[in-house]
Amino acid sequence: MSDDALLTLDDVTVERGGAGGFVLTIPAFSLKPGEIATVTGPSGSGKSTALDLFGLVLRPARAGNFRFSGRDAAASWRAGDEDSLAALRARAIGYILQTGGLLPFLSVRDNIGLSPSLLGRTAEPQRLDEMAGILGIASKLDRMPSALSIGERQRAAIARALAHRPALLLADEPTASLDPVNAEAVLALLLRLVRDLGAALILVSHDWDRARGLDATHYQAVPAPGGGRLVRVEAS
Amino acid sequence: MSRIHAWGRAARLALADFRHDGRVSACLVLALAAVMTPLLVLFGLKSGMIFTLQQRLLADPTNLELVIVGSQRLSPDWVAALQGRADVGFAIGRSRSLSATIDLRAADGRSYPGMEMIPTAPGDPLLPKDAAAPSGHGVWLSTAAAQRLGVAAGAELSAQATRTVQGDIQAARFSLTVAGILPESAFARAAVFVPLDFLMATEDFRDGYAAPLLGVGGDSAGTAGERLYAGLRLYARDLDAVAPLAAFLRAQGMEVRTRAAEIDAVRAIDRVLGLIVSVLTGIGAAGFLLSLGASLWANIERKRRDLALLRLIGFPASAMALFPAVQGAMVAGLGGLLSGAVYLAVAAGFDAALGSGLAGNEFVCRLPLTDFLLALAGTILAALVAAWAASRRAVLIDPAESLRDV
Repeated sequence: MSDDALLTLDDVTVERGGAGGFVLTIPAFSLKPGEIATVTGPSGSGKSTALDLFGLVLRPARAGNFRFSGRDAAASWRAGDEDSLAALRARAIGYILQTGGLLPFLSVRDNIGLSPSLLGRTAEPQRLDEMAGILGIASKLDRMPSALSIGERQRAAIARALAHRPALLLADEPTASLDPVNAEAVLALLLRLVRDLGAALILVSHDWDRARGLDATHYQAVPAPGGGRLVRVEAS
Repeated sequence: MSRIHAWGRAARLALADFRHDGRVSACLVLALAAVMTPLLVLFGLKSGMIFTLQQRLLADPTNLELVIVGSQRLSPDWVAALQGRADVGFAIGRSRSLSATIDLRAADGRSYPGMEMIPTAPGDPLLPKDAAAPSGHGVWLSTAAAQRLGVAAGAELSAQATRTVQGDIQAARFSLTVAGILPESAFARAAVFVPLDFLMATEDFRDGYAAPLLGVGGDSAGTAGERLYAGLRLYARDLDAVAPLAAFLRAQGMEVRTRAAEIDAVRAIDRVLGLIVSVLTGIGAAGFLLSLGASLWANIERKRRDLALLRLIGFPASAMALFPAVQGAMVAGLGGLLSGAVYLAVAAGFDAALGSGLAGNEFVCRLPLTDFLLALAGTILAALVAAWAASRRAVLIDPAESLRDV
């Protein structure tokens, strides 16, 4: 694997549901800064498990090599150093969830400012306004999330995930809760903002037809004995 | 990103959540105030009652008095040493009671033969606090004595002491000035309070010796020998000093009488009420602890996804413990202040309704500020204990929970 990779996994397995549960094997996965990768596959094939692993919230059962942003994530997991993993998540990763991803007790503006404030960074009002403008939620910044439509909430969640300029954005079916027209628009906005930021993106989707249309590296979770494997596939 | 900074952020988020869930928070605060207010009122009533009883005991110097029974032979040095003890409020020697009488006559002719003489000096608890102690021929009269003689402060009295020397009745005549009248509550009998020297001079005269102070020269029958007091007027410094002082005197072989029973009664009431208040406080605190703990726990369960999201975006696990802790402390602080405010209103009501028979420094309901602040700190501490279980639960929340609908 090249040294300039943002995320590298070689021969990593992860278990869900304890011993005898679901086991996902990742023979090789690599992501460069700014690169987009898609992870597709049927329900229960291990897509979300892979995302938990990439997102540094699920401990690998075995890791030949697991590096993220220059850090040895496998070593941190072995040492049980969850605080340094949390610090790495805070600094370098943005998460977009299927739904939610906003705290109900903070205004949209404060939600978007959550990660920068955790990092002790000063607010960037201009950038926030610009993102809110692009996402079409500029007029909703001082509302509480409950006052927004589902689509607006998902856009706000995208702004929240990108506010601290993460090197990697993880998106788990980010448009699953939206109607097709909205879904198309939100996905396009997401891709545009990620490109503007120069961030890498791992997009998890059950929709192979949509994923293959993206200029991206494609992975698929396929069933295997006792669980699944994440393998690279070509779009053609 | 320092851990302290993350804790600070988490604490602010906990406050934001507390505000956002205003109705739930208000219910918790009201629930706490509902438990705490009656306890504060109860404590205030107990404290006010004990304080008032103690004030009343203190207001009557008789409760501080130690009466030494029988005739003693006390040297001035011994009395001086006694006066130097820390638990002594006032001590003065006295003569034999048989010789401590004098005949008084007012200017209008009203007289009182054989009036009791009582020695006094600066610091006498029976005299008004700001009163100048009698000196020379100035004396204080009890109210009963002043009424019998029909005199007021400033009046002149003619006094006479008599003795029989070899069948011959001799009298010493002199005049006294009424320096003041004691309040009736201070001394019930008719008596005249005189400087000690004057009292002892009268005794010397009765015993047949010279008494220059009374104008009886040394030619009569020689001078008195070594001065010895037959008795003592003795007052303890405060209520707590009465018992040890009495024990000291009994150890010297004296028979001592005190108002110990009254003092002990107030102590016993204090103890019993203190026990009742403690038990009720314990029951209330235990109930409050359980209910607040359960509420905070339930709050964490309700907010699992939100807290998991915070963990996902990089808050350390330890910061999650602050959520229930900060919210518990808010409930305790606001609830405590609310009960303090309600207490003040209730106490004012009690004092207005029941306080008509009380003196200025007496209370129906009394809660010193330091005691209230202690109660408030204790409540916040209890809330943190109640938050403990919820905090332990919160730090275990898995950030992965936020990634899917569980």
